[in-house]
Amino acid sequence: MIKKEGRITLNIKLKTLKRGARSAFIHLALMMFMIYLVFPLLWMVSLSLKPTPEIYSADPSLMPRTVSGEHYRSVLHEERVVRSILNSLYVGITSAALVVLVALPGAYALVRYKSYANNVVLGWILTSQIFPVILLMVPLYMILRSLSLTNSLLGLILVYVVWSMPFVLWMLHGYIKTIPIELEEAATIDGATRIQIVYRILVPVLLPAIGASMLFAFISAWNEFFLALVLLKSPDLLTIPVELAKFTGMEGQARTGPLAAASFIATIPSIVLFAAIQKWFSSGLVAGAVKN
Amino acid sequence: MNKKIIWILLAIASLIGLWNLIHDQSPNSDTDQDKLRYLSLAWQEQSIAANKAIVAEWNSQHPDMEVEYIQGTWNSIHDYLITTFETKETPDIFHYESAIIVDFAIRGFLADMRPYIGQEMYSDILDIAWESVTRSNGEICGIPFLMESFIVLYNREIFEKNGIEAPSFESPWTWDEMRQAALALTQDTDGDGSVDQWGVAMGLRSAANIIMNHSISFGGSFFTKENDLYTVRVGSAERPLLNLIMDMLYVERSMAPSSIGKTGAAMLPEFFSGKYAMMVGIGSWARQQIVENAPTGFRWGVIPPLKAQSQDIGINTQTLSIPSTSKRKEHAMAFISYMLNQENMALLAASDWMIPTRTSCLAMDEFRTVDDGWNIVNASVKFLQSGSWLGVPGYVEWKTRVANPIFQELFADRFTVDEAAERLETESNMVLSRYQRGGARW
Amino acid sequence: MNRHKGSGQLIFLLPVLIPVVMFSILPLLRGIYLGFTDYQLGGGIKFNGIDNYIQMLHDQYFWRSFRVGFIWTITVTAGQIVLGMVLALLLNTRIRLISIYSVLMLVPWAMPPVVRGIIWRHMYDPDAGALNMVLMSANILDKPINWLASFEYAIPAVIIAGIWGEIPKAALFLLAGLKSIPDDLYEASRIDGAGIWNEFYHITLPLLKPVLAAIISLSFMWNFNTFGLVWVLTQGGPGGLTRLPMLAAYEEAFRYGYVGYAAAIGNVMVIIVSLVLFTYLRVQYREQVLS
Repeated sequence: MIKKEGRITLNIKLKTLKRGARSAFIHLALMMFMIYLVFPLLWMVSLSLKPTPEIYSADPSLMPRTVSGEHYRSVLHEERVVRSILNSLYVGITSAALVVLVALPGAYALVRYKSYANNVVLGWILTSQIFPVILLMVPLYMILRSLSLTNSLLGLILVYVVWSMPFVLWMLHGYIKTIPIELEEAATIDGATRIQIVYRILVPVLLPAIGASMLFAFISAWNEFFLALVLLKSPDLLTIPVELAKFTGMEGQARTGPLAAASFIATIPSIVLFAAIQKWFSSGLVAGAVKN
Repeated sequence: MNKKIIWILLAIASLIGLWNLIHDQSPNSDTDQDKLRYLSLAWQEQSIAANKAIVAEWNSQHPDMEVEYIQGTWNSIHDYLITTFETKETPDIFHYESAIIVDFAIRGFLADMRPYIGQEMYSDILDIAWESVTRSNGEICGIPFLMESFIVLYNREIFEKNGIEAPSFESPWTWDEMRQAALALTQDTDGDGSVDQWGVAMGLRSAANIIMNHSISFGGSFFTKENDLYTVRVGSAERPLLNLIMDMLYVERSMAPSSIGKTGAAMLPEFFSGKYAMMVGIGSWARQQIVENAPTGFRWGVIPPLKAQSQDIGINTQTLSIPSTSKRKEHAMAFISYMLNQENMALLAASDWMIPTRTSCLAMDEFRTVDDGWNIVNASVKFLQSGSWLGVPGYVEWKTRVANPIFQELFADRFTVDEAAERLETESNMVLSRYQRGGARW
Repeated sequence: MNRHKGSGQLIFLLPVLIPVVMFSILPLLRGIYLGFTDYQLGGGIKFNGIDNYIQMLHDQYFWRSFRVGFIWTITVTAGQIVLGMVLALLLNTRIRLISIYSVLMLVPWAMPPVVRGIIWRHMYDPDAGALNMVLMSANILDKPINWLASFEYAIPAVIIAGIWGEIPKAALFLLAGLKSIPDDLYEASRIDGAGIWNEFYHITLPLLKPVLAAIISLSFMWNFNTFGLVWVLTQGGPGGLTRLPMLAAYEEAFRYGYVGYAAAIGNVMVIIVSLVLFTYLRVQYREQVLS
């Protein structure tokens, strides 16, 4: 009896030990990834905190020798940066929401009804993703001007929605395909309409995919530079990439300190947004949905 | 149910469209008609401030011809201009450089400014500057206001420590004297067996630009014109500079190998730390970067243009131009004349650490002082020359496709000067033929 | 499940259709058409049939850039998918701090593009770059390498920077895919005593197939189309080694003024990349591509 109990505790100990080793291994692997992925950001933050002469040091260190807030002060002092962040937030969030709202039923239709339209859509996705975007700027500008959508954030939003659409559409198509059809059939029997199926039944299951798609659309809009540059004229409408570009100069030189500071500020909203969306990624939802 | 939602979505979409039609009409016409738009490429804090101050002053004096300041950037200006040329919405006045606007003018994008230029301005600005913006048919496509040329900078402390005296303007160094000094200055100062102080650094990433501009002092021109056709020759006048660089890099090892992948101002950290004793082929504006960013107590100086057959060196100017689509060319030119009057040009040049193009500005004390090498930079203006490539159709493609890659391979020691010369000649003539024989290629 | 076939699909697609036609399809049609003209900046537009394509056959610069383009596209896509998959699998576990890791992994993607190139150039700097410093202090290198100017290392260097920028997207979308695989399937296999590799190969991979196919195809096109980072790092150098085809097309149009020819290059790229993707998807999945 005692012996047996001992073996059980030993077993449990081995198990926890094994589990401990496993999670230590996972932590280690993740750490290595993080060094690769996050190091450039650390470098940028470090640049943003160094006084200018130290940025030009030939023997740079990751930890600033003197910490200085001068670059952040000079960036925040120009209200343009703050203003442009607000513009970009508006453009990014609106286009991200619109893309998903519109692409979700579209992707659903492509999965569940099969017709010649699938090939047309595929053709469009391929062409739009490969053809050099820069060559489309002039015709696009002409169309926007004929609709009086130049120098307007709405015009920018509409174009961003269309530009991230192919990516989001195909990704969502992939996710919807992985969902067992039984899930919907049960609902159809209950008399739900197609739209209800999409929004009531698929959305909860697809939350992680929707989160990823929204984030993609947001970041694409947040970072887009050239269309915003060409389209927007009023200084009050400029978006953050256009403002950031103003810290760059000749021969690839830049006002590195302020640029790094402004870039760090511009990095935060995307991170915060993901931290918020991240809850949608916590597992459990899916299992629940299938069981029900 | 589905239909309802579709209708709602359509209704929302059309409402937004309608709102937008009404909302956007007014600001659009505002910006398009009332104000002149001026696109500037100033990027240093002082020069942005100077630009804005001049614009504000103009606006207070000319409420009927107000100017809107637009901040452009060097990275995006080219694409921006091309796109707006095509959509015919280019700002009325824009800032760019002579090396490129001549091509714009040939394509019909720029207004000929001759009818608008006042006599005072025309005679005060240097002839060599005008030459850089004049087409072969005599049209002037921009007002040159800042000049730039490559200069040589040195670290005073290292020179003093090694008993080397920097040459005066009156008795300049030859390229060979520079080379001897570089050899003497290349040292292993901490005795760990590897060189940590290089005699010279040359930012050769965009090598074509540097080679072409410096070859002029050797009498090298690369381009020759026969029967209206340009050809490229790499002969006895073009080779000495290439040979010299190769020898310094791979025979004498007195040129820092790490500098061949850099451009001008990117070499500054190593210059500050004493790793590079001299820098050859850096823009005169880089002096401002030194003044602002160098560690306190860093001492440096400017060496007069190096001499081969002559001390001549290529010129590039920054310009203000008016697009051919501008509806108010006289107004635009009135603003330019104000922007570039003697006082304002001096302000712009000083804030950007470039050389002003007006003779009267060059005579000002602030551009002749010994401080920061202004005296040498100013006196070197007489050596400025237009390169043989000015107005060669296809020069941009030649530089990107042929010259830069071949020079990069040469300086990475992947082939000899002879091989580089041979490849330059054959490939160049292939690219140039695209522009010279009615577009048919290869 | 397939009652009212066409009309049902159309209703779902209608809201997308209007903006897509206006802001994507119309400009694209114009672009494709330009590929059959001799349009040069500032000149007139004249239809010239297949002249551009005949010219392209002899254009050695273009074909050379195509080779680099495929090396770049394939390695970056493969790198981002493999590493993104590993990262997604690691993040799909229930260990502590997982939410912090999964937010941090997004960093490269969230950094503004204008600063990415500048930072990587700093890291690759032969004198003061972090990479040389780390490698030299660890005694892996005895003298500094001039990464971006060297003919051996320039391509690997830009590829590593390229993968860095694309991992977050791959990992995020793959993680979303993993999250939609019901846990019960894994529980069943755990009872069966399947190993981690078996579990991955027999459960995860098949279920992830549609998502994986989508992200691989989209990333492939995306990488083929992006040259911004490489341009900032090397400007196509050294010796034209990193001149990607998209960069070549851009230069044709915006630097040399041959817009018609650049559009023709665009058309050829659409066809070639589509063929590559079709072949991949057919071989891999033996079914209709978007179905």
